[in-house]
Amino acid sequence: MSGQVAQPTSGPAGSAQKSSTSTAPLMIEVKGLRKSYGPITAIADLNFSVRKGEVVGFLGPNGAGKSTTMKIITGAMAPTDGSVKVSGFDVFEDPIEVKKRIGYLPENPPVYGEMSVESYLRFVAQLKGVASANVGVQVERAIEKTDLGSVRRRLIANLSKGFRQRVGIAQALVSNPDVLILDEPTSGLDPRQVAEVRSLIQELKGEHTIILSTHILPEVQEMCERIIIINRGQIVAEDSLAGLTQRMQNSRSGLEVSVRLARPSAAVAQALGAVAGVTSVRLDAGVYKVQLTVNHMDAVEKLAEAAVATRAGLLELQHQAFDLEDIFLKLTANEDTAAVAAGGAQ
Amino acid sequence: MKSWIRGTWVLAAKDLRNLFLSPLFYIITGLCTIVWTLVYFLSLQEFASQATMSQFGGPQGGPNLHFVVFAKHVSIVNLVMIFAVSALSMRLFTEEKRAGTMPLLLTSPVSATQITLGKFKAGVTAAWALLAISAVYPVSLAVYSSIEWGPLATSYLGLMLVVACYVGVGMLASSLTDNTVVSVIMALILNVLLWFVGALSEASPGGAVNAVFEHLNFGAHFVNFIKGSLSVASLVFFASVMALAVFLTQRVVESARWR
Repeated sequence: MSGQVAQPTSGPAGSAQKSSTSTAPLMIEVKGLRKSYGPITAIADLNFSVRKGEVVGFLGPNGAGKSTTMKIITGAMAPTDGSVKVSGFDVFEDPIEVKKRIGYLPENPPVYGEMSVESYLRFVAQLKGVASANVGVQVERAIEKTDLGSVRRRLIANLSKGFRQRVGIAQALVSNPDVLILDEPTSGLDPRQVAEVRSLIQELKGEHTIILSTHILPEVQEMCERIIIINRGQIVAEDSLAGLTQRMQNSRSGLEVSVRLARPSAAVAQALGAVAGVTSVRLDAGVYKVQLTVNHMDAVEKLAEAAVATRAGLLELQHQAFDLEDIFLKLTANEDTAAVAAGGAQ
Repeated sequence: MKSWIRGTWVLAAKDLRNLFLSPLFYIITGLCTIVWTLVYFLSLQEFASQATMSQFGGPQGGPNLHFVVFAKHVSIVNLVMIFAVSALSMRLFTEEKRAGTMPLLLTSPVSATQITLGKFKAGVTAAWALLAISAVYPVSLAVYSSIEWGPLATSYLGLMLVVACYVGVGMLASSLTDNTVVSVIMALILNVLLWFVGALSEASPGGAVNAVFEHLNFGAHFVNFIKGSLSVASLVFFASVMALAVFLTQRVVESARWR
């Protein structure tokens, strides 16, 4: 957040992050992107843009086209059709200019086992065109940010998966690029390391424009300001987390409440069914799932009173709020069978 | 332009470093020197016996050090280099693909041409380092006898060019596969093939086709260098083979984006 102020283009300091980024210039523009591998279409007509300083989560099931999209933005792959602009430069007309501005962490960290962490980062910095005088400084900065100081002289081949992944992140950071593209940055890490990487990305917010792909939902929830959900090569939703939740809430006509009782019985079910607004009650693994027609808390309160009045031993009453997982599942599952058919696309 | 050269150099330096830090280079060097030492020793002995014979009324003028010892050494070095360079260059691209580092190169601000030239430079430098070791044999004779430096120098220039062609071919082979075994076998066969393309001139009945194959004769061009003559045609020929190999590799590297 502190980095936000340093941006000359962001709005007045102190204004909400959201409004400041909405006036920031476009950093990445993707238009009509299409990629097919022979008869298989990996991505079909993708359109989105990312503003400077934004952190965008790219979400989708495996094989949805996340990695393909990232490869195209970084110039590692050419699309079948469409255009990508990074910081105003077209990826296909000015690839060198674009690549100078991008740090990319592919699915597998691109490391050389026979090099030490430090010499590897030095190599990447030089390769990315960091001026000779700055190479040392940038390498130190990347090592410090990713907390690799303790292994800097070790051969990468001898490092654990978690450390290698961090070397991969350091590699993306080492040229201090405007845009960071991270393909599943936390894959293969243990929970503590995952937390570290998340806080690192939080730290990088504002300094860099970040796109990160993942299929781990809490990650997006925690780190991203905007979420793009992609399924079978198409964007199925694009909004902030709050916006998505709101949208799902609105699209839903009723509410489902789970009621767990110590002594479930048919009489209790009937009593619950008699509450105003309840359409159905079914027993699911010892828990009553009660459907309400209205999306209102008053009905939930009445239901609780009724449950207590039966004296069946109310243990738990929970109304289901939509979380990202539900949104994700709902948006991506309805075409499940078709998705399986195209599963080889990635 | 300056940054263009720097990018190529950074890539070449990385490959060279990793090559010289790996056991592969030293294993190859060790094996090569075994063969060279053996053959060199035998040809020195032959030279000694010929020299002794000429002292006792053999053919006039005595044996020629360059042709009896050096020319043989050069042709053995060349033969061994077909294998050694194929092995040295097998990992140039296969290793990048196997380790998953190709995306790093492809998303760095360097062109496919720079990537290819960087690899080529690294391969050629390593191969020339091996040649330098082989040059120790003839040069060390300067301590005991007077040497004709001219033909020796042209012979080694010829070797440098031929070996660079092997690197080009090996690099092309390694760009085509991500399996080092396939790469080294492909490189070997192609490098051996280089020497047999010229032989086709004998099979064809003459005329234009025959002339073309004669110009593609590796042996004929190389023999000129051993004899101590420099011809522009031969220089251009070897340079073209290298350029072709680099060009084809560059196309393969670039095509990775389109797959």
